[in-house]
Amino acid sequence: MAPVTLKSVTKSYGATPVLHGIDIDITDGEFVVLVGPSGCGKSTLLRMIAGLETITGGAIEIGGRVVNDLEPKDRDIAMVFQNYALYPHMTVATNMGFSLEHRGGSKAEIAERVQWAAGILGLTHLLDRYPGQLSGGQRQRVAMGRAIVRNPQVFLFDEPLSNLDAKLRVVMRGEIKGLHQRLGVTTVYVTHDQVEAMTMADRIVVMNGGKVEQVGAPLDLYDRPANLFVAGFIGSPSMNFIEGVVTNEGFAALDVTLPLTNSAPIGTKATYGIRPEHLTLAADGLPAKIALIEPMGSETQVTMTLGGHTITGVFRERIAARPGDTIHVRPDMNAIHLFEAATGLRIQ
Amino acid sequence: MKTDLSPRMKTALYGLMCVLLIPFVFPTWWMITSSVKPISDIFAFPPDLWPRRFDFSTYAQVFELQPFARQYWNSAYIAALVTGGTMVISSMAGYAFARIKFPFSNAIFMVVLLGLLIPSEVTIVPLFQIFLGWGMINTHWPLILVPIFGAPSVFATFVMRQFFIALPVELEEAARVDGLGRFKIFWTIALPLAKPALGAVAIFTFLHSWNLYLEPIVFLSSTQMFTLPQALTQFTDAYGGAMWNIQLAAATMTAIPVLLVFIVAQKQFVEGLAHTGLKG
Repeated sequence: MAPVTLKSVTKSYGATPVLHGIDIDITDGEFVVLVGPSGCGKSTLLRMIAGLETITGGAIEIGGRVVNDLEPKDRDIAMVFQNYALYPHMTVATNMGFSLEHRGGSKAEIAERVQWAAGILGLTHLLDRYPGQLSGGQRQRVAMGRAIVRNPQVFLFDEPLSNLDAKLRVVMRGEIKGLHQRLGVTTVYVTHDQVEAMTMADRIVVMNGGKVEQVGAPLDLYDRPANLFVAGFIGSPSMNFIEGVVTNEGFAALDVTLPLTNSAPIGTKATYGIRPEHLTLAADGLPAKIALIEPMGSETQVTMTLGGHTITGVFRERIAARPGDTIHVRPDMNAIHLFEAATGLRIQ
Repeated sequence: MKTDLSPRMKTALYGLMCVLLIPFVFPTWWMITSSVKPISDIFAFPPDLWPRRFDFSTYAQVFELQPFARQYWNSAYIAALVTGGTMVISSMAGYAFARIKFPFSNAIFMVVLLGLLIPSEVTIVPLFQIFLGWGMINTHWPLILVPIFGAPSVFATFVMRQFFIALPVELEEAARVDGLGRFKIFWTIALPLAKPALGAVAIFTFLHSWNLYLEPIVFLSSTQMFTLPQALTQFTDAYGGAMWNIQLAAATMTAIPVLLVFIVAQKQFVEGLAHTGLKG
């Protein structure tokens, strides 16, 4: 276990900068998720921590040691790749013991460690099989086994669940989290799936365009997003955004005035943010015309037009209405977000 | 591949395949059966699919008329060395062109590929001059060195490069994280996975060397040094006429290693292609 520190880390491909001065402190044993849309630089950053990409500027420290110029094998890290990267011509046991073998481990030690890791991951009966004979979930476990068998200081996961089906992804999510709780190894996990990030992370680093937008605990990001990007990225379905102006009566936006309790100066041009799940049905609420209604069983998702704005609401109730009908909705006054129109930064 | 053909269509398809097989199988069949016929029966019309009389003495005469065992050995060891050498050089060169970043790598690869465009007939005279200068005429060195560093190796390098380019780079990255250096990655990860391509290279190179005809007749002059394709032309009577049955017996024996190599390497092809441990 070791802390990982990134100090003003930059990366450029030729004249094209892709990472702009990344600063992140990951404490010992922490589970940090790098999340962001495709092309935001999260995988590049992870590969730089692993040593698979060179660093253009700044410093990366693992366990207090600057590792900028160290080969991946000398960084004491283990990595799980998106496509598992299991050696197809080796058995599960050989795959898992491969790194120990090349680091001069004795046969007995390797066998012991492989058995230990296989026991944790439920792979004992698969040790003699080849990767081609395994299911996606089993391959994923082997990839994890290969990582833990060496007892590294840091685990790096590069979108490890993206090749699995939705059901298996949920199972593996739990297994990875359980593994982290059991082993307590510092973990950096990359995903573009914000649900994965929210459910697994101790802290989330939201990235966009090669920059860190916000770092924080999952619920902090959910409750107090620092800017429009984070507000829109965290949460599913996405937060509703309505542009308008702060007035004495509330927040004026086209044909509707939304309730507001904040200290923003009157006349401030802003974006009003309300999460779909923070709208409730209320007879004295604002009238909204239903465009699309999607019953999910446990909840109902409704796309509607409110004062000329298309918004989404998620309700616990089963709604006996049809597209074209009008319902009345009220935003939760404690869950309203306001962002500056010009900068997109949070006002309250 | 699963097909939904009706039994009638399947029968028709197999029938068609059997018909198409004839032009491929008949020459081999004719060669083998004619090798045990008396010479007067070979050109009988209509041709006999099965010999009326068997004469196995042709096989003994092959060894009496020529130092055929020695020539067989010559072809075998030259083909083995060329195949081994080409596999080593083409796999390493192909890997370098596919995976190692170095200045002008693509331009250099293009220059190397240009070697394929030059017919061997064009280079044979300069090569003769070079090997003459090195005192290697009537030795097997030209037949070993020219293919290993010539067009066959270029083609093999191209095959290997294309294979290594398609090999998922994550496998090598995982190996780097696991603690392997460049050569060990090549040796323990990339090369074992390249068996299908190596099999193709081995078949191609072995056949090319085994069938080499122009170079032996230019570089070799003594029967003891001859290779098989060259030796096959030597089975003639006092008037220069071909001794067909003996020549075909020699040709049959010449074809056996080719068939063996193909059968062995073909299995390697299928095994290699079946192994893919990546996402699924």
